[in-house]
Amino acid sequence: MYVPEPISKLIEGFMRLPGIGPKTAQRLAFFVLSMEEDDVIDLAKALVHAKRDLHSCPICNNITDREQCFVCSDKKRDQSIICVVQDPRDLIAMERTGEYNGLYHVLGGAISPIEGIGPDELTIPDLLRRLENEEVQELILATNPNIEGEATAMYLSKLIRPFGIKITRIAHGLPVGGDLEYADEVTLTKALEGRQEV
Amino acid sequence: MRVESLELRQFRNINQLDLHCPGELHLFIGPNAQGKTNILESLYVLSLGKSHRAHSHRELIQWGKNMALVKAHVIRNERRQRLEIRFTKQGKKVSKNGLEQKKMSDYIGALPTVMFAPEDLEIVKGSPRIRRRFLDMEIGQTSSSYVYHLSRYNKVITQRNYLLKEMSKNRRQENTLLEVLDEQLMELATRLWEKRLAFLDRLSIWAGKIHRAISQGKETLQIQYQSQIQLDEVTDPDRFSRFFRENLFQIRDREISRGITLIGPHRDDLLLMVDGVNLSTYGSQGQQRTAALSLKLAEIELIREETGTYPILLLDDVLSELDDMRKTHLLTAISGKVQTFVTATGTEGIDRRTLERAQVYHVSEGTLRRGN
Repeated sequence: MYVPEPISKLIEGFMRLPGIGPKTAQRLAFFVLSMEEDDVIDLAKALVHAKRDLHSCPICNNITDREQCFVCSDKKRDQSIICVVQDPRDLIAMERTGEYNGLYHVLGGAISPIEGIGPDELTIPDLLRRLENEEVQELILATNPNIEGEATAMYLSKLIRPFGIKITRIAHGLPVGGDLEYADEVTLTKALEGRQEV
Repeated sequence: MRVESLELRQFRNINQLDLHCPGELHLFIGPNAQGKTNILESLYVLSLGKSHRAHSHRELIQWGKNMALVKAHVIRNERRQRLEIRFTKQGKKVSKNGLEQKKMSDYIGALPTVMFAPEDLEIVKGSPRIRRRFLDMEIGQTSSSYVYHLSRYNKVITQRNYLLKEMSKNRRQENTLLEVLDEQLMELATRLWEKRLAFLDRLSIWAGKIHRAISQGKETLQIQYQSQIQLDEVTDPDRFSRFFRENLFQIRDREISRGITLIGPHRDDLLLMVDGVNLSTYGSQGQQRTAALSLKLAEIELIREETGTYPILLLDDVLSELDDMRKTHLLTAISGKVQTFVTATGTEGIDRRTLERAQVYHVSEGTLRRGN
């Protein structure tokens, strides 16, 4: 072996991360060697803490390091509306808009029989319990606009219709600031189908 | 559409080729395995970005070399364009007039092409899969939304089949989820059916006309779309989806016990008939060939309707498969309109008038020699 064991272990560790192959892993590992010791310790601690201290919120399934996530514990937020997303990253994206002041529910994925993900593998039972117990008036379905995300949204709307709650689906169409002439046909067709009276 | 010049570098067994080819008919003659088909393949690749017969683009690069180049000057409606595809081990780069094209869907259509090879004769007597692929390819050449909906449809079918199998194995109750997949199936299937039927209407008109001409008015070709479900009301979305749902409901138990989706464009077929007789079972070989030829010639006319220009035609070794009468018809049907590239092992059986107006090349071990 040309490489001492500590560094080969570090390279292997990096290679387990998504999108990192052997060359990048090696570059990162050697970069770590050249870093200040304090920075390396901070990084190592951050990795351990992130893994140990984070868990999912018992109410909405978002990731949090406290008992409840920052949304669920904020009583100033509109308690009558829940936005359903697939992933904590989608929640972060919605929060970045600053336009939404309701609650969330994180499903933890989308329905896909091939991958063995059915309704029971997602947090759908938790969502139903919330709808029974909380004063919810509107449910926004913000799953991805691909086949699995659409199936999940349709499934939820079938399941929840008996609750008599207003159910909405986020719009899809042209990106804001985009030019019509550069939009692909499919997006443009969707935008045309979802046109609104002005 | 005209290809004015073709330039190949390290493409398959052709190390270097510079062909000036403004003429209408080009005939590549030579024994087998000399590189005749490679020349047609290069034009096909330039048109669609991929080969009709290679599994990997690496096969297109000459043995022991690192890259291959296909380049052509084409003229379309009096406008000159430079098309180029460069293959390396890593991938391909496509450019138009020196500008790199990032999205293949933007590039496809720059050189509309119709290819006719011996395996196309299978379209009449081969399996339904071949006829479905013919439909999908032809509609896809001019409609990118069809390609998009087809790929989504195939995903839904995979998911739905998987769920049906699960349900039959575990007796798991997933009826709501199955209903959701029904909805997705119905929406996408309806879109595909509408496009296929509209395409078929136009195709039948042309193919019928051409078939009648080849058979000298003796035969009438009919093309019927065959599905497990009545498609009469497909353009009335509300009525049709109610009807579709009922049909799915009726076969539910059968779908679950077999674990597959039994209704949809992926199970459909084209029925080709001459004077009411099914060609694939009862047609003579000659009739089957005439029908295949009519479909291909109809395709040429459809592309012209759709894009305003005649495509180029690539005839790979099919002249030997057609008898004199059909051959003559083919060559006169395209004469004066469609630039054509033909491969054949010899000039026997090609009439003198055609030979006189053709540019003839002898192909041997990857090199060309002109000669008439």
